[in-house]
Amino acid sequence: MEILSFEETKKILLKYKLPFCRTEIFNSKEKALVFAKQIGFPVVLKIHAQKIFHKSEIGGVKVNIKNEEEFGVAWDEIDKNIRGKNIEGVLVQEMVSGNEIAIGMKRDSQFGPVLMFGLGGIFIEIIKDVAFRIAPIGKEEAIRMIKETKGFEILNGARGKKKIDLINVAEMIVHLSNLSIKEENIQSIDFNPVMVTDKQALITDFRIII
Amino acid sequence: MKKIFEPKSIALIGASDELGTVGLGLANNLLSGKDLRKIYFINPKRKEVLGIKCFDTILDIKEKIDLAIIAVPAKIVKSIVLNCCEKKVGAIIIVSSGFKEAGNAKAEEEIKEMVKKYKILLIGPNCLGIINPSLNLNASFAPLTPKKGSIAFLSQSGALLDSVIDRDKLGFSKVVSYGNEADMDLSDFIEYLKTDKETKVIAIYFEGVKDGHKFMRIAKEVSKIKPIVAIKSGRSDKGKAAAGTHTGTLAGDYNVYQTAMKQSGVILVDTLEELFDVSLALSLSPRCENGIGIVTNGGGLGVLTVDYCSEMGIEIPSLSKSTISFLEKNKAMEKVVSKNNPLDVLGDALSDRYTVAIESLLKQDDINGLIVISTPQLMTEHDKNAKIIAELRNKYPLKPIVCCFLGGQSVALAIEYLEKNGIPNYTDTKRAVKSIKGLIKK
Repeated sequence: MEILSFEETKKILLKYKLPFCRTEIFNSKEKALVFAKQIGFPVVLKIHAQKIFHKSEIGGVKVNIKNEEEFGVAWDEIDKNIRGKNIEGVLVQEMVSGNEIAIGMKRDSQFGPVLMFGLGGIFIEIIKDVAFRIAPIGKEEAIRMIKETKGFEILNGARGKKKIDLINVAEMIVHLSNLSIKEENIQSIDFNPVMVTDKQALITDFRIII
Repeated sequence: MKKIFEPKSIALIGASDELGTVGLGLANNLLSGKDLRKIYFINPKRKEVLGIKCFDTILDIKEKIDLAIIAVPAKIVKSIVLNCCEKKVGAIIIVSSGFKEAGNAKAEEEIKEMVKKYKILLIGPNCLGIINPSLNLNASFAPLTPKKGSIAFLSQSGALLDSVIDRDKLGFSKVVSYGNEADMDLSDFIEYLKTDKETKVIAIYFEGVKDGHKFMRIAKEVSKIKPIVAIKSGRSDKGKAAAGTHTGTLAGDYNVYQTAMKQSGVILVDTLEELFDVSLALSLSPRCENGIGIVTNGGGLGVLTVDYCSEMGIEIPSLSKSTISFLEKNKAMEKVVSKNNPLDVLGDALSDRYTVAIESLLKQDDINGLIVISTPQLMTEHDKNAKIIAELRNKYPLKPIVCCFLGGQSVALAIEYLEKNGIPNYTDTKRAVKSIKGLIKK
């Protein structure tokens, strides 16, 4: 069991029309900084490694980096934290805001790919408010799946919040369904969080297990 | 499959007259239908069993054999199967255990290959057999034969099947203990039942399925025509190896099964009682849309029933203006002040009040089914109530009525009448609510 490399992950996401926030991988602090400036602060730094499953626990993630100075400090800290560990590189990502949702897949030995939808962050870890479907599914079924969760009300404009664009999320689930059916070597996937607003749905953290 | 469920000739290999043996159980059960088909016994160690001549091998029988039942020790099963293949029997049931379930997968595989080569259907091994009550066929070693009915019961467990037959007054169309599924699996039987005229509902007990995709494909198709109700064991998470993702951790085995069942249109239930409660309701009543009316002569039970309904997502529509004015105009309802759903006809209700209440609710468009509660008050006319319910059911055949006549001796005759007239009655309101939930189309 290992995490798919960033380059391969990127290829897969593009192939199946799964939109993700602007992300590149670097091993050089200088080149990374150039990219950070290009996409604009604030940015996120996080390591990508084939065998590290808990990247924040070991200090491999720094968020909300607002300027060049903070960038330098964050990079050095990560560098120190991961010393001696085998990593592919450090991802530089744009910071995206929105509602956090989680979308995922697990290949079941009996029924094949099982798709999952839920609210992201603390909701998925503690409340476990999620809905499942066996792939393949179409857009209508994906919408039913989203509406099945209790958290849907939060996304649907509870307490005067802006409603998210349900269609974007449903399409993302359908694309994940297609991916799961075709890419049989992929065992499990987490897109958590996916940031959703009334306009878009962007994957900001991805983990594909092969 | 006709060779299995409607055989014209059966050979029992391993027939015995020794008390307490599977061979004797099978022999007795088969003989109960001996006027309808030819029964042959095979046992080289005996001249006769229960007065029937024993052949040494199946090959010694001149006539054609539709169904061969094998109840011999595991180690000689393979050679017996080979005999059956050479005899070109229509189908084989291997009752014997000691195969995959006992770590002996190789022997099972060899037998599977053999029947495949000869294109012979195989049930088992490690099963109880099959029963077709309408043809008085009991090709199993179950201690009893159930009466004829319209529920088909497919069970991975033989012992559980025994207890269901023993305990319930239910009638069955087909009963199958399918064992290790070396050849024919659960899905094959579901597919067969799709066109079985006697079966209205398919009830299943299973531990797992052999081929998830095949199961989903067939169940999806069949559940559109006949309801499938199932209970699955093995639900606790055994703490599987880490999956590396949240999704993997959350998608435990039972969650995946729940999802697969739901997507295939299978009604998954929690208890055996529920399995047969829901199956009974489905075998007797039409399915309906959401929206249920409740008539009761006990306020408390009405409230309790509403609680269960709301927990299970069952809607309780308010009474419409026309329903209320209909009730107001009716003399029998004079004393009933609050005209709500649930409609409490009060403790002193006689049958005339029940009649008006039930009919007024059945008439309302958005009430699609009814729960009628009758508690034994001093003046309650249970028997009359049962009669009017049967009459109104016939008058409104598209709206299911589920009864909850609560009590002992005083309601026994009324319940008997309801059952005779094909109206399900449950001795607890929660069971009634769960059953009507099973009737509601999703």
